[in-house]
Amino acid sequence: MSSLMWYIYDFARKAWADAFTNAKSLPELAEKPERFRDFPKVNKEYCIGCGACTVSCPSPNAIKIVREKDDETGEGMTYPEIYPGACIRCGFCAEVCPTDPKTLECGHNHLIKPEFNIIPSKRQYIVDDYLCIKCKKCMKKCPVNAISLVNDKLHVDQLNCIACGECVDVCPVNGAMKGVFVENLQDQKDLILLAVNYLEDYINSKEEDLRSLEKDSLLQYNVPLDDIWDEALKIIPDDEISFEIISNAVNRLKIRIIDWDKDKCKKCQLCIPDCPTKCISFDEKEDTIVRDKDRCLRCSICYQTCPFSVIKYFIAKFSLEDDRIIHATVKASNLNEEILME
Amino acid sequence: MILPIGPIHPALKEPIRLKLQTEGERVVKAEIEYGYVHRGIEKIIEGQTWQRGIYLSERVCGICSYEHTQTFAETIENICGVQAPPRAQFLRVITNELDRIQSHLLGNSTFFKSMDHETLFMHVLELREYAMDAIELLTGNRVNMGWNVVGGVKMDADERHFKPILENIAKIEEGFERTRELFAEGPALALRCKDVGVMTKKEAIKGRAVGPIGRGSGIKYDYREDHYTYKDYFDFKTIWRKEGDNYARTLNRFDEIPESISLIRQAIDNIPKGDIRIPVELKSGYAQWRNEAPRGEVTYTIETNGNLIKHISIRTPSIPNMDSCAKYMIRDVASVSDAISTYASSDPCVACAERVAVTNEHGETYLTDICGVK
Amino acid sequence: MLDSIKDIVRKSSIHVCIVNCGGCNGCDVEVVALLSPRYDLEQYGIYVHNNPREADVLLLTGAVTEQWRENLKRVYDKAPEPKIVVAVGNCPQSGDVFNQEGGHVYAPASDFIPVDAAIPGCPPRPSEILEAILAVGPQAIANRGREEK
Repeated sequence: MSSLMWYIYDFARKAWADAFTNAKSLPELAEKPERFRDFPKVNKEYCIGCGACTVSCPSPNAIKIVREKDDETGEGMTYPEIYPGACIRCGFCAEVCPTDPKTLECGHNHLIKPEFNIIPSKRQYIVDDYLCIKCKKCMKKCPVNAISLVNDKLHVDQLNCIACGECVDVCPVNGAMKGVFVENLQDQKDLILLAVNYLEDYINSKEEDLRSLEKDSLLQYNVPLDDIWDEALKIIPDDEISFEIISNAVNRLKIRIIDWDKDKCKKCQLCIPDCPTKCISFDEKEDTIVRDKDRCLRCSICYQTCPFSVIKYFIAKFSLEDDRIIHATVKASNLNEEILME
Repeated sequence: MILPIGPIHPALKEPIRLKLQTEGERVVKAEIEYGYVHRGIEKIIEGQTWQRGIYLSERVCGICSYEHTQTFAETIENICGVQAPPRAQFLRVITNELDRIQSHLLGNSTFFKSMDHETLFMHVLELREYAMDAIELLTGNRVNMGWNVVGGVKMDADERHFKPILENIAKIEEGFERTRELFAEGPALALRCKDVGVMTKKEAIKGRAVGPIGRGSGIKYDYREDHYTYKDYFDFKTIWRKEGDNYARTLNRFDEIPESISLIRQAIDNIPKGDIRIPVELKSGYAQWRNEAPRGEVTYTIETNGNLIKHISIRTPSIPNMDSCAKYMIRDVASVSDAISTYASSDPCVACAERVAVTNEHGETYLTDICGVK
Repeated sequence: MLDSIKDIVRKSSIHVCIVNCGGCNGCDVEVVALLSPRYDLEQYGIYVHNNPREADVLLLTGAVTEQWRENLKRVYDKAPEPKIVVAVGNCPQSGDVFNQEGGHVYAPASDFIPVDAAIPGCPPRPSEILEAILAVGPQAIANRGREEK
C-alpha cells in the first residue's frame, strides 16, 4: 500500500508541474568531463611519420598517415589523419605515440607513462625457399605442427607458431630457416649497410695485395668486428640482436669488389657508354675517369670492356663465427681470361 | 498457433526472434531464434596482439563491456603468471561495481518498459545516469571504457575522482530505496510479477542459469566469492531468493545494488597506495579465467603463442539464461504480454550471445548464427 | 485512458524507430539513456518506439550482419515516406572494428539503404546524439508538411 502513498505524494508535490512547464535540456549535459576521450587531436608539426599509431589502432580504417605535396618552401608534412566514422576513441594511438610533445592527444591518455607504450615485437619464422632442401626435419621437430607443405614448399603458419626456435636448431642448411625480427626494419637495413660498407672499404684499402694477386690464388683477411661495433650498437642497442643480424647478413654475403688502377688508365673512354647506370663519367677539368661508387652496380661490364686491365674485379666471401672476427676470402675473377682465350 | 515476435518489435531492445506457441490466450511454449547480430568477434581477435585484443573484447557486448576487458586482462595475466598491483585491483573493483549498478538498473528498466510501467522505467533510468556519470568521470567514456590493460589499469584516480563518485552513489542510494519500494510493494506491479515465469532450482541447474537469474531461482552462487581480489580484501554477501519468478529475479537485481554500493565505499576507503600498472611480457601458454559479469559468469579461454592470440573462446552468461528462459520460464504463461515481460526479466543481452555453439541435452550442437559460418 | 491521451499527444511528434542491425549494443543503450529524464528526448517532440511501420526517423545502429542484408531493405521499405535514416555510431558508417579479417559484416549500411545523417563515435555520447537528431529532425517535419499540401 505504501507505494500508492508514493504515487499520491509524487503527484501532490507538483514536481511534475515544474518539469512540465520548464522543460529544457540543461547546458551541463553537453559538458564533457576532463578525462573524456574525444576524437584524437593531431598536432601536425610534431609528427615523425613512424606509423606507431596505425600499427596500434584496433579499428582498421581509422588512422591514415598522409603526406602533403612538396612545394617551394620544402618537403610536405607527414601526419596522421583521423577518420571519425571509424575511430573508436580508445586513445591507444595517443598512448603509443613516441614523439615528445605528443603528436596525438586524446583525453588524458597521452599523459600515460612512456614505459608502457610497448608496440609488441615479433620474431617471425620463415622458410627461405631458395635454400630449403625439403628434408622436413623442421616439420617433424615442430611441437605445434605449425610447419606444413603448401604447394610443394615448406610454409610456417604464423598463427600456430609459438616462436620456440627449434626449427632453426634442427635445420641442416644454414639460413634456410630464419627467425627474422619484423620490427625496426629500417634499423636492421642501416645495420647491414654499415657492415657491408665497412667490409668493402676494408678490402678496397688493400690495393697492393689486390693488384699483385695471382690468378687462381686467394687472399685471406681477418677483419675485426670491433671497429664498427660501437656504431652498430648506436643503431640497435641490443648486443644479441645486433650480432645476430650482422652474422646472418655476413655469412651469406658475397661482395664484388672493383679495383680501379688510375695510373694505368689511357682515357680511352670505352667504358663510359657501356655502363648500364651511367655511373662512369669523364671529368674534363681533372682529365680523369670518375666512377660514382654509390651508383655502381658492380656488374663487371667495365671490367670486361677495358682493354688495358685498368679495372680489376674480385669476389669476396665472408664468415663470422662467435669469435667476433670476420674471415674474408678474396678471389680474382677469371672472367676476362676466359673471354680472351676464346 | 505460433506467434513470431521480432526481430524489430516495440518490446524488444535488440534484434532476436521469439516464437511463441499459443493456445488461445495462453503461451505454452517458446523458442528463440538467434543470429541477427553475429559479427565474428572471436575470429577477429584471433591473430591480434593483446594490446589490440583488449579493445576488441570490449566490443563483445556494450552493456557489460567492462567485465569483458577485465576477464581478458586477468586471463593474460594468468598466462604470464603475474597479478595486477593491489591499487589497480581496487580501482578495478570500483569500476566493476559501477558497471554492475548501471547494468542492473538498465535490465530492470527494460523489464518495467516491457510491462508498460513508464513511471518506474523513467525513475530507474534517472538513477542509472548517476552511475554513468561516475563511470565517465573515472574512465573517460560512458560505455566502452578502455580502462583496463593487462597488468593493471590505465590511469590513476585520486580525491578529485573519488569524491564525485561517492556523491553520485549517494544519490543512487537516496532514490533507490523509494524505487525499490514502488516495485516491491506496488499494488499493480507485484501482482503482475509474482508467480509468473517460475523456474525451480532444479530447472535452473538443468538450464545452467547463472547470475541474478540463477540466484533468483535459489542457486546461491556468485563467482566473486572465489575471485582473489574480493576474497582477500572485501566483505559482501551473495543475494539470492527462492521463488524463481519474475518478481524474484527483478528484486534480486535490485538488492545487489546496495551490496555493490557498499563494495565501492569499502574500496574507496581502503584503497592502498602504490603502482597502478606493471609491465607484462607475454608468454606463450593457455589459460582459462572466470569472472562475475552483471548477468552471470563470463569465461575466457585464451591461448597465446608468445606474441599473438592464437585462440580465444568466450562464454557469456546470456546464452544459458536466454535458453533456460525459453525452456522453463515461458511455459504455460497466462498471456503474451506476460511472456514478453518474462523474457525481459531474464535480462537478455543478444550481442553477448551471438558467437557461440550451443549443445543441448540431446548432444546436438548448433551454432547461434544461421548464416553458415561453421 | 492515459494511453489514449498519450496517443493523442504523441500523434504529431517525430516517430523514431531503432534498428539494430548487428552491433555491440553500446549505441542502443545510449539511445535508451536519451529517454531518461535527464536528457528527456520526448520534450523535443521525439517519440522513440520500435515500430518501423509508423517511423519518420530510422536510427540505424550496428554493422550490417549476414541476416540483415536483405531484411534491412525490407524494414526500410516498411517505413512510410517521407523518412530519414540516421546512422548512430561508427558501425553503420565503416564497420568499426568488425570490418577486418575474420569479421562477418557487410558495412557500410549505405550500400543497402540511403543514409541521410551520421553520428560518429563508438558509442557517441547521448548529448551528441541529441544534437544530431535535432539537427536533422526539422527536415522530417518540413517534408511531412510538404506532403500534406
